Amino acid sequence: MISVADLLTNNRIPSNYFATDAYVRGDLELGLLENRQGDRLLAVPETLIQGIYAGLDKETGQASCLVLFNCGRWWGKNFYVRFCEQLTDYYSVSPADMPMVEFLQALQQCWITHGWGKIELDQSYQHRGFLVIKVWNSPFAKLAPQGKQPVCFLEAGILSAFFSQLTGRELHCIQTTCESLGSDCNRFVIGLTKRLEPAETLVTNLDHEAIMQQISS
Amino acid sequence: MHPQLETIFDEAENRYLKPEELSLLGEYVDSLPERLEAYRNLRDRELKIMQSVADQLQLELPQEKVEMLERSIKNALLMLRYCAMGMLLNDEAFVQERLLGWLSLTVQVYDTRSIDAVLYRLLNQRLKQALNPRHLALLGSMLLLAQNTLQQPASADTRR
Repeated sequence: MISVADLLTNNRIPSNYFATDAYVRGDLELGLLENRQGDRLLAVPETLIQGIYAGLDKETGQASCLVLFNCGRWWGKNFYVRFCEQLTDYYSVSPADMPMVEFLQALQQCWITHGWGKIELDQSYQHRGFLVIKVWNSPFAKLAPQGKQPVCFLEAGILSAFFSQLTGRELHCIQTTCESLGSDCNRFVIGLTKRLEPAETLVTNLDHEAIMQQISS
Repeated sequence: MHPQLETIFDEAENRYLKPEELSLLGEYVDSLPERLEAYRNLRDRELKIMQSVADQLQLELPQEKVEMLERSIKNALLMLRYCAMGMLLNDEAFVQERLLGWLSLTVQVYDTRSIDAVLYRLLNQRLKQALNPRHLALLGSMLLLAQNTLQQPASADTRR
């Protein structure tokens, strides 16, 4: 027989940890934003994001893509650790023992609550060893300078580090479509560096489907 | 709190409240003792009610995996707790925003809707027996909203 009392965890049913109104807290007088476990949150104004793009471009020129990607890697690595800590505290179960669906659902809500847009995983190329991630309404795309190729190098770095940590394998990430170029969403392809590298040169000429065809054939 | 009530509190600097606004507030205040009592009743009987629903559910759906049944029961506990809080606040938006957006995804992914349908029927029957009609009426609108939302088939993506 099912015992209802046993289904509760310390008399709780952990649900949506990253629910926006429960997760973000603040003390206006102190000028502080905190999350629900009391860690500081940082609100980044649009001007700062634009300023980072402009400053990097001026200081480092073409290398700014690489700088942003590496900053993203660093951020993603720490973000993964914090994310897992919060999940472990809240659900009383380690992320490794958590069903993937619930892990991803938490990630999606976390993304929304931090104001990074809506994130979704597309597993249709998983059998080929690639994971496609779609992001809508990214502030990093919206505020980036217009160019001829996708611009979300920061997010690509974050995602590559996050999924590298998650899978325990060194993974790379390349963006194939970008909202800044008029696409419906930002598509990121994650996979082993060696297999993904050929795509680097394709992103300026081919669309997402064509790139996926090329690299997975 | 009920959004209509929340907005009237913003009017302090502009004017005194109109009779109809005061009566809205009065209605809520008058209903509070009942809401509190309903809440306490539900809180104290939660486990008993849900245990009897769980037992019945297992009898009615012996072919279903225990894991799936447990998931549905957990979700129902969550729904009941949120509905109870929503009833206390008289605020459907609380249930909608805090719980339903998130829970409907879980329900879709694990595809527990057919189990949930049986569970809701049993739960509603059991609540009818356990709560008095006034308390049930207060909780009812929240439960109806939650159950209807969670029973909807995978709709076009509503999260965007």
